[in-house]
Amino acid sequence: MFKRKSIYKTPNKPKGWKKTMMPYLMVSPYIIHFIVFVAFPVLFSLVLTFHEWNIISPMKFKGFNNYIKMFNDRMFWKAIVNTLQFLVIHIPLQLIFALALAEFLNQKIRFKGFFRAAFFLPVIVSGVVVTMLWQQLFGFDTGLFNRILVSVGLDRVGWLVDPDIAMTSIAIMATWKNVGLYVILFLVGLQTVPAHYYEAASIEGASHWQKFRRITLPMINPTIFMVVILSTIGGFSLFIEPYIMTGGGPLNSTLSSVLYIYKQAFQYYHMGYSVTLGFFFAMLILAVVAIQKKYLETDI
Amino acid sequence: MLSCNASKDRKDGTLLYWSSNNGPEIEFTKYFVNQWNENNTTAIKFQPIPEGQSSEEVILASVVGKTTPDIYANMWQGSVEMYAKAGVLIPLDTLEGFTEFIKERCTEKVIEEITSSDGHIYQIPWKINPFMTIYNKRLVTDFGFTQLPNTYASYLEAGKAVKADKNNDGYVDQWVGNTSTRIIWYERLFNFYALYIAASDGASLIKNNKAAFNNEYAIGVFRFLQEIYRNEYFSIERLPAGQDMFLSEGIFTKWTGPWDITFVEKFKQRDDFEFGFFPMMVPENKKGPVYTYSDPKNMVIFNTCTQPQKAWEFIKTLIDKEGDKKLLEFTGQLPNRKNIETDSIFQEYFENNPKVKIFAKQANYIKGVDNSEYIIEVLDIISQEYEACVIYNKKTPEEAIRDAEKAVNVLLTGRKN
Repeated sequence: MFKRKSIYKTPNKPKGWKKTMMPYLMVSPYIIHFIVFVAFPVLFSLVLTFHEWNIISPMKFKGFNNYIKMFNDRMFWKAIVNTLQFLVIHIPLQLIFALALAEFLNQKIRFKGFFRAAFFLPVIVSGVVVTMLWQQLFGFDTGLFNRILVSVGLDRVGWLVDPDIAMTSIAIMATWKNVGLYVILFLVGLQTVPAHYYEAASIEGASHWQKFRRITLPMINPTIFMVVILSTIGGFSLFIEPYIMTGGGPLNSTLSSVLYIYKQAFQYYHMGYSVTLGFFFAMLILAVVAIQKKYLETDI
Repeated sequence: MLSCNASKDRKDGTLLYWSSNNGPEIEFTKYFVNQWNENNTTAIKFQPIPEGQSSEEVILASVVGKTTPDIYANMWQGSVEMYAKAGVLIPLDTLEGFTEFIKERCTEKVIEEITSSDGHIYQIPWKINPFMTIYNKRLVTDFGFTQLPNTYASYLEAGKAVKADKNNDGYVDQWVGNTSTRIIWYERLFNFYALYIAASDGASLIKNNKAAFNNEYAIGVFRFLQEIYRNEYFSIERLPAGQDMFLSEGIFTKWTGPWDITFVEKFKQRDDFEFGFFPMMVPENKKGPVYTYSDPKNMVIFNTCTQPQKAWEFIKTLIDKEGDKKLLEFTGQLPNRKNIETDSIFQEYFENNPKVKIFAKQANYIKGVDNSEYIIEVLDIISQEYEACVIYNKKTPEEAIRDAEKAVNVLLTGRKN
């Protein structure tokens, strides 16, 4: 039988060990990265949870002491409650403002580009800078907010010095800082809602609110879910704001979990204990996100 | 990169010296390093401590990475014990000539203070910044006081006299003084601890691995400060960095060290702005000289140093009488040396800088911190109670000090096991 010779040259196929190793070589940069920056730190941290270590002295095996200490550490539980308190204020604020602003910026308005950039600006400014600026605004005796209140005949507010108010002040500031990012996410979500849904609803005589309630909200549910998850994870990482503005005070009312873990690690050098707290805290975030996923995420 | 250079330098026998990174100290170090290198075969290389969030953090990182310098100057006395316990410092009393030299230079009290629990000495007492009260002389001229408010009662009286609402908005905007309300541990050194030392003639916070501060002095200090905040004689506001209310005459006193002499002179807002210093306030019944916290900064030799004896020989040149004189001249900081006020070698400097002499006189009555590796946690516990009692009036001074004592004892007992 006549066998036609191909005009195309077949590339040399790798043979033997080359053939076996090539895929591994191709993924090796990721594998190395994973081992060095993920697997090793996580495993080392896990080992550390059973030790006492101040970085410069040799580690001492302490069994489950760190875990027992954690469950008896009232300050850690207070820090968790503080963090949850922050989330309860921060997430709804974030959602409402981000959605309202996104809805506003989705309309046909003048200077739309300018407003979008303006709302996003705080996101890209350094957290430390923003926090220091707000610290001045929140000042009890000399802050701008209290000067305005006094000038209109109202009492001063202990924004950062009143233990009942300080965490709310931080939540307001954090919302201002991050809302721009979520505005962008919501804008993307809003622009994916097909226009003919609204047209059909208008023909049926639906009001603005009905359209928002029955069309917009269900259609952007994945975005809402994402914003809630991102806000939750971001909120659990609350650190810069209390670290700079209040140091965890007044009366530990703004001591967040991450700030407490940081203090244990880098103020007292209790590395084993701080890692134990960190592990527990990661599990807590995982659990909260899983619960949110169960109750918030719905199919469109 | 700096650390890599450090290891390389050590191989050729050069000794590496880290100074603090403020300008005058860099100049001071350069002067002595150049002088040494001209006359010795073992060269000294010096560099300011590499940049980091804090010098403590940089030192810790270098210890972990085994890239420590041979000599580090400017270590806070309270940090030394932790490094000593970790075995990363050279016991200096094992070096030839160290003990004799240090006995000649420092008082017995200072030597006792720096001796580690294992009986060795790991730090060289170098310089101090004793805390005193700086005051605006208008406090005397404008408010009718015949003497300085140097007791608790007279200071509270001054607080009442100075407190004012100058812009008539119903809120106080002029106070007698101000001190940090931040709860971070080191802030307590500059208010509670300095006052505690003044009241108690230098009593300890920890003795025989137990809290030793549940006494009339600590309770008295808490009560004094609580009264101040309760009556709004100090502002509760945490002032942003860069805002100096003493210069803007929003406050008339504050607790500070000798560095403020140059600072206030340089940045005062009126040419006729006059200021002076007096010791920390004490209870009414307190007699005799007033002690204060000295904020000591010391030198150490790390165990990565291959020629500790040579390192010590170099350090000696920085801290002998001539070296101490140069320290004063270059930096305006006081050496931790006995009889500095009366020693003839320093007199010319004091005649030209009479305000520094006030601190030199105070240097006869100073205390650093207790030599405990847990001193930071102890101060942190006190800080928590300070906030609850002094700032927020949630506890009585007796309760707050008792709770702090209990917590410190739990901490120290737990760590002993």
